Amino acid sequence: MTDTGYVQILDLVCGGILLTAVLMLWRRELAAIVRLLVVQGVLLALLAALMGVRESSTELFVVAAGVLVLKAIVLPAVLRRVLRDSGEAREAEPLVNVTASLLAAALLTLLAYGLSRPLVALAPSPTTRALPVGLAVVLLGFFVLVTRRRALSQVVGFLLLDNGITATAFLATAGVPLVVELGVSLDVLLVVLVMQVLAARMRLSFGRTDLDGLRELRD
Amino acid sequence: MSLIGAGLGVIAWGAIAGVTLGALAPSRARALVAGVLTSVVGAGGVLAGLAALGGQGWSLTVTDLLPLGAMTLAVDALSGAFLLLVGAVAVAVGVYSVGYTGPGGRHGAEPDATSGDTTALAGPSSEPGAAGHAEGAASRTAQSALPLFVAAMLLVPAAASVSTLLVLWELMALTSLVLVLAEHRLRASVRDAGLWYAGMTHAGLVAIMLGLVVFAAGAGGESFTALRAGSGDLSPGTRSLVFVLIFIGFGSKAGMVPLHVWLPRAHSEAPSHVSALMSAAMVSLGLYGLIRVGFDLLGGGPHWWGLLVLTVGGLSALYGVLQASVAVDLKRLLAYSTTENVGLMLIGVGAAGMFAADGNRILAGVLMAAAVLHAVNHAAFKTLLFLGAGSVLRATGLRDLDLLGGLARRMPVTTALFAVGALGAAALPPGNGFVSEWVLLQGLIHSVTATGSPSVVAALSIPLAVGVVALTAGLGMVTFVKAFGVGFLARPRSTVAAAASESPLTMRAGMFLAAAACAGLALAPATAGAPLTRLLRVLPSVRDGAPLADSGIALRLAGIAGSMSPLLIALGLLVAGASVAALARRVAQGRPRRVAQAWGSGGARLDPRMEYTATSFAEPLTRVFDDVLRPEHDIDVTPYVESRYLIESVRFRQRVPDRLEARLYPPLLAAATRWGQWSRRLANGSVHRYLAYGFVGLLSVLIVVGISG
Repeated sequence: MTDTGYVQILDLVCGGILLTAVLMLWRRELAAIVRLLVVQGVLLALLAALMGVRESSTELFVVAAGVLVLKAIVLPAVLRRVLRDSGEAREAEPLVNVTASLLAAALLTLLAYGLSRPLVALAPSPTTRALPVGLAVVLLGFFVLVTRRRALSQVVGFLLLDNGITATAFLATAGVPLVVELGVSLDVLLVVLVMQVLAARMRLSFGRTDLDGLRELRD
Repeated sequence: MSLIGAGLGVIAWGAIAGVTLGALAPSRARALVAGVLTSVVGAGGVLAGLAALGGQGWSLTVTDLLPLGAMTLAVDALSGAFLLLVGAVAVAVGVYSVGYTGPGGRHGAEPDATSGDTTALAGPSSEPGAAGHAEGAASRTAQSALPLFVAAMLLVPAAASVSTLLVLWELMALTSLVLVLAEHRLRASVRDAGLWYAGMTHAGLVAIMLGLVVFAAGAGGESFTALRAGSGDLSPGTRSLVFVLIFIGFGSKAGMVPLHVWLPRAHSEAPSHVSALMSAAMVSLGLYGLIRVGFDLLGGGPHWWGLLVLTVGGLSALYGVLQASVAVDLKRLLAYSTTENVGLMLIGVGAAGMFAADGNRILAGVLMAAAVLHAVNHAAFKTLLFLGAGSVLRATGLRDLDLLGGLARRMPVTTALFAVGALGAAALPPGNGFVSEWVLLQGLIHSVTATGSPSVVAALSIPLAVGVVALTAGLGMVTFVKAFGVGFLARPRSTVAAAASESPLTMRAGMFLAAAACAGLALAPATAGAPLTRLLRVLPSVRDGAPLADSGIALRLAGIAGSMSPLLIALGLLVAGASVAALARRVAQGRPRRVAQAWGSGGARLDPRMEYTATSFAEPLTRVFDDVLRPEHDIDVTPYVESRYLIESVRFRQRVPDRLEARLYPPLLAAATRWGQWSRRLANGSVHRYLAYGFVGLLSVLIVVGISG
């Protein structure tokens, strides 16, 4: 693979990751959001594979396969089950409306680009220049957590956050060791499973999964 | 391996064994196991302390033990003195606790309702005796915390870096809090005391931490070696800030006024052997911290540091002894007496600081030696007194002196041993408290002539300090005459006191050990001369000279024309006493003898209601110091139904509240409560809001970093 070809594919993949993240803010159909998560998982796996080709390491291919299985197959499947059980198809009314969310996403992306300048300056290379994308996805994930009401949206926000962290790790370190990736993946899987159970319990208790139903749970 | 290393090894392994065995042992063996291991840990401290005072040095660095850095330990003569002090207290307390936490006794019980006018007694009433006992001081938690507490106290003076010191300090605070709360199911007042203690000790920790962090940041290293080397580079303002902060922090642990409020609560509500450990050993570690950081690491400072310590010490001594002299609760009395003695130590340290700043090292040395010697003496007699109070509490379930009395006949050993302690605490010859107060007074009195032309401040403050020490000694004597006379002599004032029985052998043995230490310190204080000289060499601003010259049996002060022989005083008293007894016997010989009731004035209708009570004994003092103490009186007159001129009964109650506490603390507590109520609005239960706090926090940090980077 030539250098320019590598850079173009890399930028394409990273752009795709950012785009899916922003689209998740735009769409309110929960099923569509899960589909976007699948796409983002595939792109992440592609990113890992790309790094594997670049570094010619088999370990990274194994990591890529792991990411693909977890983020594009297992977690979306879990989410679809939650969606099917809950019967809530839409994120009814987010705390911040969609237009404002998209504006905020633009601001957050700008912030991420501004903040990662010194990081990029440490070791300028095509890979690290894409680093702000990872940071932007982290911030967008956090933003979803803060503004969305449904329990499923919370899981989505958490996964977006994790995807951002994974992307940042790949881009900043030129490949993550298998052990680290395995550990993180297991954690994420566990968290999602716990949140699935939590969502089910919330529905049993309140009839819906609006997080504000938990408001009484304090001191 | 050196003796110090061996001693510290004993401490560490003893504590580990104590915690595990204390938690695992069956309840029957628990008291024995925990007590013996506590004594073993204490013996390790004594060993290490003696070796360090003998001139050995030792240090150890263990990396990766603490999460934030290496654990650094180093032992010099100053550490040695406090290792010895804490270790010796722990040996006696360990032996004592075997009996105290064993089966039997009334000390776990709810106090008698008639004595409960000082504290809220709204707690759930429980079965006194055996049922309540197993879950109090004999519980698994309390018994396994005891050796750990002792080990933490022993390692504090050995700590040689800021992080090690803070971790051990906190361990000491937490384990002692667990022990204070041991009887929380039995009395509601224990919970209150625990809350006060936790609040004060953590406020103190914050002050110490701030001070030491500022110090370490300025000196460029957190090990004590680095602090010593870097303290000269600090600006005078920073040095003073560090000193004031650590003075507040260590002072709150030492119980100086106005941070003393936890002492009367925690000391009186904790199980008695724990009170002894806290009052005798833990409180002196506050003094250790002050000397270590103020005089060793900072290397002494300007004149006003000493004056500050001297003033606070004088106030503490006076206020403590005044409250002690009017207290009716025996353990509360002892707790206020601790504040008094800490005040005396602070007077010594403060005056030493003033003279060190003036460059008069000989006087500074004498006064610093007096402070340390007084800490050791105080530890000896206060251990004994608290253990004695514990024996009384175990036998009667009472702490109220107004309901005690007549114990001399039923608990002769406890009475005799308590008398030894009271003699020491009253600072009368031949007690051990007298020796150190004498050194302190000599140092203060001779300072005016020795310094030549003193500054105005010194010329005013030192004579005032002499007056404070003298008044304190006098009031201290009244206090302990009251404690001993009203509590142990005369006739019992309640049925429980009349039914008291002597304590088990281990408790008597523990008290005997403490009494032997008192006697040794009282009769042969000159042996402390060489170790004290080594101790003073650690402190750069008072390094010169030997303060106490050891010339056989007499105690001679260096640079001052003062000498005293406690042994000869004791001998003289013995001879005088024997000759008076012989004379009386001789005079009485051959005359007819009539047996009558003592103090009966010929009559025989004496009953306990005619006796002096603690309240009535202190009545003159209460009147004299009315403006300071502001006692609250309460008189209920109940007339007969038929005529309001004929009175059926009169009920008189007197409370002496802690005025400083009543004035200073309620506004602070109210402000804290308001703040807490206000901040509850931040947490309204919305998960989104909590997440938003995190998000906004993250963004602000990122923006700040981005702008500043």
